[in-house]
Amino acid sequence: MDTIDAILKAASARSDEAEVYLSTGESIGAELSRNRVRIGQAGYGTGLGIRVFQNGRVGASSTNDPSRWEACLDAALAAMRLADPLPWEGLPAPATLPSTPLAFDPSLSLEPGTVADLLASMQSGAASHPEAVVTAGSAGLAHSHVEVANTHGLRYTETETHASCSIEAIAGTSTGYEFVSSHSLDLDPAWVGEQASFFAAFGVGGEPLTPADYDLVLSPLALASLLEAVFIPALVGRNVHAGRSRLADRLGETVTDPRLSLYDDPHRPMGPGAAWFDAEGVPTRRLDLVRDGVLEAFAYDLRTAYRYGATSTGSAVRGGYGGAPSIGFHTLVLEGPIADVMAEPAVYVRSIVGAHTANPISGDFSVEVSNPCIVDGGAFVTPVRTAMWGGNVFDLLSRIEGVSTETRVVGEMVLPALRVAGQHLVG
Amino acid sequence: MPRYYDVRHVAGEATSIDIDNGVIESASTSFFDRAVVRVLGPSGWGVVSVDNYRALDLDRFIAEALVLADLTGERVELASAPYRVLPVPPPSDDPRQFGIEEKTQLLSGVEAAARGPSVRNTRAVYTERHETVRFASSEGVEYAYELGRSGFNVLAVAEENGVVQMGYERRHAVNGFPLRAGVPCGEKARETAIALLGAKAANGGRMRVVLDPELAGVFAHEAVGHASEGDLIREGNSVLAGRIGERIGGPGLTIVDDPSLSEFGFDPVDAEGVATVRTELVRDGVINAFLHTRETLAAVGNGQAGHARGMPGEVPLVRMSNTFIENGDSSYDECLSECRDGILLIGSRGGQVDPGRGMFQFNAEFGYLVEGGELGGMVRDVSLSGEILGTLHDIALIADDRRMHQGYCGKGGQSVPVGDGAPHLLIENAVVGGSGHD
Repeated sequence: MDTIDAILKAASARSDEAEVYLSTGESIGAELSRNRVRIGQAGYGTGLGIRVFQNGRVGASSTNDPSRWEACLDAALAAMRLADPLPWEGLPAPATLPSTPLAFDPSLSLEPGTVADLLASMQSGAASHPEAVVTAGSAGLAHSHVEVANTHGLRYTETETHASCSIEAIAGTSTGYEFVSSHSLDLDPAWVGEQASFFAAFGVGGEPLTPADYDLVLSPLALASLLEAVFIPALVGRNVHAGRSRLADRLGETVTDPRLSLYDDPHRPMGPGAAWFDAEGVPTRRLDLVRDGVLEAFAYDLRTAYRYGATSTGSAVRGGYGGAPSIGFHTLVLEGPIADVMAEPAVYVRSIVGAHTANPISGDFSVEVSNPCIVDGGAFVTPVRTAMWGGNVFDLLSRIEGVSTETRVVGEMVLPALRVAGQHLVG
Repeated sequence: MPRYYDVRHVAGEATSIDIDNGVIESASTSFFDRAVVRVLGPSGWGVVSVDNYRALDLDRFIAEALVLADLTGERVELASAPYRVLPVPPPSDDPRQFGIEEKTQLLSGVEAAARGPSVRNTRAVYTERHETVRFASSEGVEYAYELGRSGFNVLAVAEENGVVQMGYERRHAVNGFPLRAGVPCGEKARETAIALLGAKAANGGRMRVVLDPELAGVFAHEAVGHASEGDLIREGNSVLAGRIGERIGGPGLTIVDDPSLSEFGFDPVDAEGVATVRTELVRDGVINAFLHTRETLAAVGNGQAGHARGMPGEVPLVRMSNTFIENGDSSYDECLSECRDGILLIGSRGGQVDPGRGMFQFNAEFGYLVEGGELGGMVRDVSLSGEILGTLHDIALIADDRRMHQGYCGKGGQSVPVGDGAPHLLIENAVVGGSGHD
């Protein structure tokens, strides 16, 4: 009997239901300091998470050390006895899921040489703007393996591969940053280096900005940080029912520009969070959150769904090794009216300093823009010295002018650049 | 053969309790055990991070790390630095004397205190963490210590006529138990959320501001602390590089980082076995020293090692610990009256800095208009941004009422506990952001 079976057997003698989540991972990477490799790294991670259920009470615990599962199970049972009972209708039974891997590249092996090549390509890309120098960078490769099992006989496994690289550059006091991450080795490290050094070099000698209302073009990075701080948490079922979401009472209403749609697409091959099942073993599915501007759904895990009479949307995710499940997203895709977003004059917002300080409830924010510049006729025209931007995330999604054709992956999202009208900037 | 190696092994347990709208969502304990083995090869570092470290495997990890060190081309040197382990202060109030049931009851009281008219959500979260840290190096340095941290936060969300606002309070301590006296925090979160329903959005622009000690501490952390980190200096990614001895602010302005203080960022010894000491980043308005590990001290100079910190199993980085502005000779009342017309900014929702560009941003929880030197109406969602090299010259008054606050600081994917603090400050010509337009 393996560890998972042993835990489930011991747990079922002491609770109604139990779930085991076992993740293991291996990684290799290296970091640049200026233009030289300063550190080579490897990592070996293990996480075991146990949840037990009885009469609507749930308890959880985790450990890095599977051989200590008995202490972990005791802690989960103790936590279960303390928790308040809530409506609960059971863990999922096994279903037949496709076996095609969604986030696995068999050619991605953990070779030091591949890491060195990624760094070298980024550096050569960065050299295309010699005014900028590299300050730091990193590249990494990883394999991870996840197993989820419960006392109803469900047992799923999934193996993923990861590759990523990032780099920072500076010219005078103008900084640039770029990164890319993927489940395969299809990434373009030279582009990463070129972008970082371009933004560093281009930002030198920025002009002051007159305080006024401007059209803005938000890069996917800038858009991601605002969505993550405000709009995405407002779609999480637990926040909705607890009174922490401004979207709570607005199902069926228009909440953004009617041309915008936002959906979670867990089956998109090589999508950032691609998976056939979620962290609780519930089969995943496409979830249309906002369709043509209308709020259609919120995201639920089992617990929140049972509690509020909804259905799990297969949206349980876990952070790190052995973390407890919470509501999240797999591959969020934002679509909108395609436009040539940089054709007319606007201030380009490459990224934002301090997006996490936005008010997550009201959506109000006031942030500093990184690498602001004037764009016109499809090109970057003039760098801007500084720009402070105050606004509201919910309002700005109602004032969009269009989105770019090109999209990119940022975190768990696939996003275009977005043009928005009438935003107040202070220089 | 490695030129140097060390291993830092951290094991322990973490408890968290989450009460949301009166329901005990979870009250659980988890276990962790992680280690990082660092080896200095002919050039740079080879590092192996492992879960469930067994000392028996050390030789294997050293061999593996040596191979990884072959990837490197940067010649890393380590400065010599004094070794010392400070005694861990005895718990003023040990959370371990209470069972998880009693802690859950106490937290429940805090959460209940946040409820009130117009409040539609209350949530309180308790965290407690005990670590045993063991360190050994090829230089014969060996130590072990135990340290505990605990604390809580409480949130109240109020709503009226479609306006939604929140009040948020947190208290954390090293070797203490702030939850025992937590109820007033729940009340304060409620009062703030309700009061903010009637607050106006702040108008952005340049103006005089008064920062409260919590926000002024974040200001010191964001505007000076990060840019003083030796790794950023070495990489050429800080506007303070090469500026030791230059004046950055007026006389009387002293900014310190001190991991040896028993505040929330306390370390009895740093993550590479170096004695933790007080470092004055700015002394009397002049840039005085940088924060260092042994490696960055050797590469950059100017300052002292003892500022290496790392999460369990992670490579230690140059980090702040307890960062603060020393008291001046003014007072809160004087700051307000000299401000005349501006904003008093209170509390922190966090901040961020681009040290290479020299720009920082941070956000207050709320503020009050200052009109004719008197407090006026409440304002919400107000932030402050500025340039590191200019802003400190604009500090016009430093009060004498320094207080420390607790938080967590992220860098390179690692989050570490920090203390920030300052007295009230009056700043001229500050760039204030807000979504108001009137």
